[in-house]
Amino acid sequence: MEIIIEEISRGHKLLHRHRLSNKSISIGRGYQNDIIVDDPHICAQHMQINFENEQWLISDENSINGTFLEDGKQNADQHIIEGGDIICIGKSQLRFLFADHKVSPTIHFSPFESFINLMRQPLALFLTIFLFTIIAGSIIYLNKPLEVNFSQLFVPAIGMTLLFALWPSCIALISHLTKHDARVMAQLGISFTFFNLMWLSDVFENIIIFNSSSSFILPALVALIPIALSFCLFWLNGYIGFHMPAKRRIIIASSITILMFGGGYLIEFSNKPDFSIRPHYNATIMTPSFLFTGSNNVESFIKDSEALFTKVQKKAASKK
Amino acid sequence: MKAFLTFILIIINSVSFAQEQAEKIFEKLTPSLYQIRLIDKASGEKSSIGSGFQISDNGIIATNYHVISSFARHPKKYRIEYLDNLGNKGVLTLKSVDVINDLALVKREVSAPMSFFELSQKSPHKGEKLFSLGNPHDLGMIVVPGTYNGLKKESFNERIHFTGSINSGMSGGPVVNNDSQVVGINVATSGNQIGFLVPHDKLINLFNNFKESPPETIEVQMTQQLMANQDKLMHKLLTSTWQSKPLGNQGIIPIIDVPFIRCWGESNADKTDALILTAVANCSLDENTYISSKFFTGSVEIEFRYMKAKNIGSMKFYHLYEQQIARAGAGNRAGKDDVTEYQCHHDLVTPENKTITNKSILCTRAYKKFPELFDVLYLGASIDKNQQALVSHFTIAGINKENALAFTNKFMEAVSWK
Repeated sequence: MEIIIEEISRGHKLLHRHRLSNKSISIGRGYQNDIIVDDPHICAQHMQINFENEQWLISDENSINGTFLEDGKQNADQHIIEGGDIICIGKSQLRFLFADHKVSPTIHFSPFESFINLMRQPLALFLTIFLFTIIAGSIIYLNKPLEVNFSQLFVPAIGMTLLFALWPSCIALISHLTKHDARVMAQLGISFTFFNLMWLSDVFENIIIFNSSSSFILPALVALIPIALSFCLFWLNGYIGFHMPAKRRIIIASSITILMFGGGYLIEFSNKPDFSIRPHYNATIMTPSFLFTGSNNVESFIKDSEALFTKVQKKAASKK
Repeated sequence: MKAFLTFILIIINSVSFAQEQAEKIFEKLTPSLYQIRLIDKASGEKSSIGSGFQISDNGIIATNYHVISSFARHPKKYRIEYLDNLGNKGVLTLKSVDVINDLALVKREVSAPMSFFELSQKSPHKGEKLFSLGNPHDLGMIVVPGTYNGLKKESFNERIHFTGSINSGMSGGPVVNNDSQVVGINVATSGNQIGFLVPHDKLINLFNNFKESPPETIEVQMTQQLMANQDKLMHKLLTSTWQSKPLGNQGIIPIIDVPFIRCWGESNADKTDALILTAVANCSLDENTYISSKFFTGSVEIEFRYMKAKNIGSMKFYHLYEQQIARAGAGNRAGKDDVTEYQCHHDLVTPENKTITNKSILCTRAYKKFPELFDVLYLGASIDKNQQALVSHFTIAGINKENALAFTNKFMEAVSWK
């Protein structure tokens, strides 16, 4: 009768796997054992499992710290093993499986797989990062009120690219440290693709704001796009870097998104003075080529503005 | 030689005559002159000082509103005291104010009818010798001779131009003519030998109104005065001619043709390294209404800015242009206790003339103590030319909704491209 014994970490990650066909298997810290577990809290001859009457039976060898089932911490001495049982000895855990143990169904490649594979190609990666640098450079150029030369744009643009490369690099490092594939290229490719998409969403947001009056609701909805993009980015970062259940990945990606945007909002909120003497208005303007909507006439502008007076009058009355 | 001597004698004579006169006036009037002090109740010390003069036998004293403004705004924090020429002190009660002309009436308790200043019935003539009385810098009562130089031309609310030194602390003191009759009240100075006085007829009006019907509360009275003044000002502005003038090569802007709105211009045409050629025209009302040291109202500021790109693309031009319009602020000083936060509305607007399309932003905030009065701020930024821009901007403080909207309407229609 064959039995498979897995040494697993507390997070149920596989450390070693043993496939044995002896009828009696000894487990302990001593070198005479069939399975040697290097854990100071385990006795030299800690426990044995024996195949008797078509069943595997655990017997504790009077160990100092005992042998327990994982769930409920119930003593495992004389326990009949079922497939998938986990027992704790010392501070280590062992999982017992039989050859007929059912495995979970095969996961399809996600549709992102081909996209990720494309983005990690050197040429695609280069083009994405190059595009990012160009955009960063042109934004710096547009905001400089004085004449600028090429190197004045080039250096900060490269700097910005390196700064943004920190994020995918960190993810790759973490996945490497947690015994996953680093996949640096894939992380870089995906991250920069999304950074570029975020620039694009900025432009899109500006176009919407520019073309709408303050009474429209659309600009508020458009502000959700960067949040959605960030979520996708974090989800893909997790997908590339770590093996984890889909649900967990969604939870982690949404937590990071909430942390980032919620935290940003909180900081902004706490820095906001309790009274601001300056008016806050949206001054977004773009070149005439981005103007897609028609304009209002003065009369209706005046009419729309009337509500402002009622609003502030109410505030003045309530804050007395 | 003889003629020369006579001339000198005449001069000496007239100088000593003036001195004698000043002395006489001072002696005669000094019992009715007071130093007005605002005492902070908590610390027991004076927080501001000014001058005042009695105008009735039953103890009504005239002074400047700005001398007692802290009391008018926070009556619980302060008390008003007088100090007369004999060093006697006593408490004053606030009776009436004219916030527009910076006047206030306070009253002391009197046991028997007292001597008081007589208010002149006629205005002085240009060049007439006048005597300003007051207590500058807490140094003691003094008399300053000076000359009447007519009414200040550029002021919306009349002020007398007085050539003579008026110093701080003399605020609220009377200015009298040869017959010891009050023709004005010290109010402000504008450097060496240039002083401004409130004409005496404003005080006569205030005093008569007070005698007829004393104000309900000072706050209500101030609201009514601010409301009436903005109505008068805005009526004048809206009914005056708005001249169309060019700005830069292409812009057409309105210049309101009234003497009390004065315009100044500037451009960066001399700066060869500038990426954008900018020409600015600025028009504003030179005076504003003092409500407290941290709250002014009644100001009008209009600014036009023409911009033209030099050797840069329209994307960059618009980026820099956006930075130019991003930080407009209020034209008057005000604080959290005085006004609400601004609320803004923006839209794309094409006026009737169809020659320009603007991104128009209108912001307003309400006064907390004076209902129905607002500060408004308008900003129009042209968005229909790739390499040129015209910014039209105004702020008006202390205006009601109807006037604000009427002015905005007229203003928006008056800005265009050539």
